Amino acid sequence: MKVLLILLSCLQLSLLAGESVNSGHAEVRLLSNLQSQQDETFYLGIEMAMDKGWHTYWQNPGDSGGAFDIIWESPEGFIIENVSWPTPELIPYPPLMTYGYEDYVLFPFQVFRAADSNLGVIKATINFLICADICVPESASIEIDLSTEQPSSLIADGIKSVPNRVMPVSLDANNQNLNLGFAFDGTINDAYFFTDNQGDIKHSASQKLRRLGDNNYELILEQASLTPDQLSGILKINDSGFIVMPTAVDASITNSFSINLFQALLFAFIGGLILNLMPCVFPVIALKTLSFIKISEHAPHQAKWHGWSYTVGVLSSFVAIALVLIGLKAAGESLGWGFQLQAPEIVGGLALLMVLIGFILLSDINIGTSLTSVGSKMQQGQSYSNSFATGVLAVVVASPCTAPFMGAALGFALVQPTAMSLIIFIMLGLGFALPYLMLSIVPSLVAWLPKPGAWMETFKQIMAFPMFATAIWLIWVFAQQTSSTDLVILMGLILVMGFGLWFGRSRNRTQNIGISVIVLLSVIFGLASLDKTVTQKLAEDDSLTWQAGIEEQLQAQQQAYFINFTAAWCITCQANEQIALSRDPVKEFFNTNNIKYIKADWTNRNDDITNTLSSYNRSGVPLYVFWKPGMQTPKILPAILTEGYILGL
Amino acid sequence: MRYLVSLIFLFTLNLNAVEVVLQDPQLNEPAPKFSALDSNGKTISLDDFKGQPVILEWTNHECPYVVRHYKEDNMQKVQRIAKAEGYVWLSVISSAPGEQGYITADKANDLTISRNAANDFVLLDESGALGMQYGAKTTPHMYMIDAEGILRFKGGIDDIGGGAKFFRASLTDAVNYIAMNDTPVSKNQKPDIQESVPYGCSVKYNYD
Repeated sequence: MKVLLILLSCLQLSLLAGESVNSGHAEVRLLSNLQSQQDETFYLGIEMAMDKGWHTYWQNPGDSGGAFDIIWESPEGFIIENVSWPTPELIPYPPLMTYGYEDYVLFPFQVFRAADSNLGVIKATINFLICADICVPESASIEIDLSTEQPSSLIADGIKSVPNRVMPVSLDANNQNLNLGFAFDGTINDAYFFTDNQGDIKHSASQKLRRLGDNNYELILEQASLTPDQLSGILKINDSGFIVMPTAVDASITNSFSINLFQALLFAFIGGLILNLMPCVFPVIALKTLSFIKISEHAPHQAKWHGWSYTVGVLSSFVAIALVLIGLKAAGESLGWGFQLQAPEIVGGLALLMVLIGFILLSDINIGTSLTSVGSKMQQGQSYSNSFATGVLAVVVASPCTAPFMGAALGFALVQPTAMSLIIFIMLGLGFALPYLMLSIVPSLVAWLPKPGAWMETFKQIMAFPMFATAIWLIWVFAQQTSSTDLVILMGLILVMGFGLWFGRSRNRTQNIGISVIVLLSVIFGLASLDKTVTQKLAEDDSLTWQAGIEEQLQAQQQAYFINFTAAWCITCQANEQIALSRDPVKEFFNTNNIKYIKADWTNRNDDITNTLSSYNRSGVPLYVFWKPGMQTPKILPAILTEGYILGL
Repeated sequence: MRYLVSLIFLFTLNLNAVEVVLQDPQLNEPAPKFSALDSNGKTISLDDFKGQPVILEWTNHECPYVVRHYKEDNMQKVQRIAKAEGYVWLSVISSAPGEQGYITADKANDLTISRNAANDFVLLDESGALGMQYGAKTTPHMYMIDAEGILRFKGGIDDIGGGAKFFRASLTDAVNYIAMNDTPVSKNQKPDIQESVPYGCSVKYNYD
């Protein structure tokens, strides 16, 4: 009997709480929490109990769908506010993302009424989209009589699901991303930002959460097409919603490059100047200068044109390299500067070139169209095409040196728009060509150079040794990239080339061409037959191996880390390891301070590393990144490290 | 050499594999090239229409948004205006087999007749490759390509937008972006409004 009574009273209650209407895929009813006749503010609620697996939408539906629409009819003296949106859920339909409410939702509406207004019937007609795999527009006309209606406790639950706390955020535009920064106490299992406006951010893009230290976090959003001026919406953290008021997007990071462009140009220019002193370049330039001394003695008026031919040779080579790189990048290759040294064929080819130049310098050999001709022909004066070719050769032999020494500057160049990259490369070429060009257009400078004489031959021969030294380094890089069998192939090729040179020097022109062809073919076949399956790693030490995403993992674990982005062919990297990173005090420092030492080896091509480098606006190594709990963003360390600097971290 | 090989490899990969993500074709850049079967079993390529402006309409005859646009002769009216301006109108169905809006070629032809549609071809994109290539999210979702093959407009057909209010708003009073842009795009010019929020039902790709 008692049970029956309870049942009856339940029945009674449900009858009192507005009539529910079946719209097709949902039971819809109107509820109120008006407690007494005197209440001037209260809430109405529209409850939608949807069929299992069906959903309706938030105000921004995401990639498809749409919000509901409502028409009220109420007694005089009533103001019914717009809906207070409950925190939505993610309803993914890959590749699309939609925002809404699945299975059940209660939409609260705040109501203000004049104290002298009469309670009466309130009617609502709600039109909404209800979707599972398919979408159906449905409609429900519902009403309640406030004079007899009992307050419903369901409304309080509905109001609870509406965010009421404001979360202050910062918004920074960073390339195609918008970084939404906020502070939160406690652990975050998941976080998602629901943007108010369609078309501001890509709804379907995953939002990556990064802990910046302490209670500071950053949610990385992908912007749609243009950087929005501001964003507002709901930030959902562990199932609770927070209001994000309209917040302006700070785009200054994206635009900051215009300030740095001048610096980049200056550095490229100075870098080009310094390149002249590189062990692989200096001999070529020095010899050119020697021949130049001769020319200016015999025919000073020609000197100027030789200078310009050389400059054009240098510039066109740099532009060609830049265009190849830009082209490959545009084609979707993820490459960074130094990429040319990631192919063992090229490293091997450059090693052969270095040895060849060394041999030529040591001997009197004058190869037909010798690029470095300094021998007997010089007396008759050189052709301008020869000067042009010297410019090209200078850039080719310089290329293994630019990678390790200029990675950072060229890295900057490559992340710029095409025109900017080109200008930076041209500045580099101008700096590179400048010393020689200056000599040719300001003849008085020649007076500062030593007079020509027999010493020139000795000097030429001495210059062979920096070339051999460069070759040794390249062979070492080659050995890191390949197997010992390949190393033997390369050595064999050097042998063949050396023999060809010796054999060819006493022969006539036709025979020389024949020998050159044989040597060239064996080099090509030799390099093509390399077995690249065996790839050795850099010398093992107690470092961890870098993997994509390791930074986020470690930050989430509050684990300090130091990442060494390095490559075997990067001289600066090797130097830093010797001077700083592999020193015992540094190792001890990492141990005692619990800093994870991670090595990212870019000796061979690795697109993950390339992408990570570009996220730091670099496209080359070395790059050193340090982070410890409490830091907002990881710190990028200088390219030249010292023991003292690391101990001071 | 290695890069050349990998380049070629990447290139062929793009041609053969169905991307699992939506692409986002850039405005004022050449529109992505495609080939697809039409409802008469003919292979239709974008290249077939060199020198003619082209409109792509993503559609799903069971989607309520599409239903309304067709029932009120709104879509057909826009098709007729475009046709008079020299456009080729391609209706694309990217619904996967078994999903809403998936139809056979015969049914597609029946629909064209029964709805008095003025489209030129109906493309049956059941793999969704074309839809994903263009980043089609909703039905309807519209794209305008000028006679030089440059993408000039992408987005929703008009300014009504999604949501239930769509079903009460007047289609004729709305700003119809396709009708508005017909003339400039047919003259290979950049229209004033090049993008709008696409609205409607989601394109019924194979979600599994």
